[in-house]
Amino acid sequence: MSAETESRHAVTRNDGILEVRDLDAGYGDLRILDDVDLDVSSGEYVTIVGPNGAGKSTLMKSVFGLTNYMGGTVRFDGEDIAGENPEDIIHKGIGYVPQNENIFGQLSVRENLEMGAYILDSVPEDRIEAVYGYFPILEERTGQLVGSMSGGQQQMVAMGRALMLDPDLLMLDEPSAGLAPDLVEEMFDRIDRINGSGTAVLMVEQNAKEALRRCDRGYVLVQGRNRYMDDGDALLDDEQVRQDFLGG
Amino acid sequence: MGVTDNTTGRIRGYAARPAVVLLAFALGYLLVDLAAKLAGISVDPLGVHVLGGYVRVSSVVKYLFNGLILGLIIGLAGVGLSMTYSILSFANFAHGDYLTVGAFSGWAASYVVALFTLGLAEPFGEIFLLNVPSVVSIATSPAAVVVGLIVAATASVALVLLLDRLVYKPMRGRGGIPLLIASIGVALALRYTIVFVWSTNTRGVTAVGVESLPAYTLYVVDGSYSINLHEFTMIVAAVALMIGVHVLLQFTKLGKAMRAMADNKALAQVTGIPTERVIRATWIIGGGLAGMAGFLIILKRGVLSYNFGWRLLLFIFSGVILGGIGSVYGAIGGGIIIGIASRMALIWIPSGFARVAAFSVMILVLLFRPAGLFGGVTTA
Repeated sequence: MSAETESRHAVTRNDGILEVRDLDAGYGDLRILDDVDLDVSSGEYVTIVGPNGAGKSTLMKSVFGLTNYMGGTVRFDGEDIAGENPEDIIHKGIGYVPQNENIFGQLSVRENLEMGAYILDSVPEDRIEAVYGYFPILEERTGQLVGSMSGGQQQMVAMGRALMLDPDLLMLDEPSAGLAPDLVEEMFDRIDRINGSGTAVLMVEQNAKEALRRCDRGYVLVQGRNRYMDDGDALLDDEQVRQDFLGG
Repeated sequence: MGVTDNTTGRIRGYAARPAVVLLAFALGYLLVDLAAKLAGISVDPLGVHVLGGYVRVSSVVKYLFNGLILGLIIGLAGVGLSMTYSILSFANFAHGDYLTVGAFSGWAASYVVALFTLGLAEPFGEIFLLNVPSVVSIATSPAAVVVGLIVAATASVALVLLLDRLVYKPMRGRGGIPLLIASIGVALALRYTIVFVWSTNTRGVTAVGVESLPAYTLYVVDGSYSINLHEFTMIVAAVALMIGVHVLLQFTKLGKAMRAMADNKALAQVTGIPTERVIRATWIIGGGLAGMAGFLIILKRGVLSYNFGWRLLLFIFSGVILGGIGSVYGAIGGGIIIGIASRMALIWIPSGFARVAAFSVMILVLLFRPAGLFGGVTTA
């Protein structure tokens, strides 16, 4: 379908932690992803952009074992995790923040973070400190019910929860969705900081221009297939990409 | 200013709903009537009795206490019903029969213990089938009551886990309605299994003689109300269990995970919370509490029949709905309100209609707060 599919034969980097090859996945019998490839290196910041319904979120969910696996490989840290369930994948070092309903509204901030480390025997206080380091407001609101907080603060709680196990890869599904414009910038800054500390970030984002400007590499997904893959800036400069996906 | 606007807006909102006004009027009338009755004033213009009459203060105190005791049991049983609703997403109609199972297994165990501690002459079979009336009293055989409570809990937990494995687990994820209907079938199966073993006879199980059971008598204005050792034991046990539930939910990892799952199942799974294990814990706690509630209410009532749990289920449901289905604290608060309402109603209506009063209170509250007093789906 697309001649520009570059990632198909992309050279696998030595320090790649996530390596998706020819992935087919969907819901029930409905196939959404069609031979999709995706790579994330250790500490890299990768963005997936594309039109609505392109399968961006589905790709992320598929990595986390939340869709119906139909074929291909998903390797994380050299281990094949395709078709495994989320409860096992969490142990491998992937943190995932869904787009919607990504907080426990009836629990306090601290309890949300504790849930993020449920698989550990005891609450890792150093991780709670680390999360409070990224999001100082959460330390002030530690006992507050998350359901009563603002959208931006809830998003911080959601990310904080996913960071509790100090994942090697943090997957964010539309972290800026529903945020007021002045908060979007701030949210991207915080993601930069998380990435700067060595955590690889894989992000799906509607706010494509800003996301591509900030990331190391971007993928453009169309109708469940890879369309383009390049450095973020290169995609931004690409005339075709600009016209088709970034509104000129 | 904003507050005043808000208040008038609210009042206008209520006025728009005639049922609310009507019920508020009825409640107001009852309160005035109660005050008049307590004061011994009767208003009979033209020979038509309109208001007042006479009721003893001590009777009102008695109704209040009995209501509170019943309410504690309804609340205790409601905790499990509410938890299974919020975590497993279905209304479990077999919950009332878990009380019955707890009561029968617990009292059979009590009788067996009493057989030894009290040196009864009757054969074991007659004892086990509870065919010997009114044997156990906490004064003469405290061990029998303690063992009975423990057996009531363990037997109902075992049963509930078995039922989950056989019936509910295979149906998980098929939605609330199929599970609800299955639970009605489970309820019938449980009830008639009990009938098969113990028959439909209603039997007295506790020994309640003045000489055998110490009681504390409370003197009020025009009479007295006495609370006996069985009632006292029941209250202490129920309150202790409720505190236990509170501590579990707020301060333990498992309890927090239960609240998290009640809140957002999909996220709980993504977070790595072992959802099946949490479901099992929910059944264990809810089933155990139901079994103990069943045992304890019989300790107070003294008589045991095969369908008391089923009959109590409507009260439990209305308490849970009143408190806001899904909320554990709502189940406790709602249960106590329903219990008190159903007993206080005896001031005005014969006991056969006490249920009507309980449901009227539920409807009244829901008109003001449609999501229940503690609102929303939450185990908090």
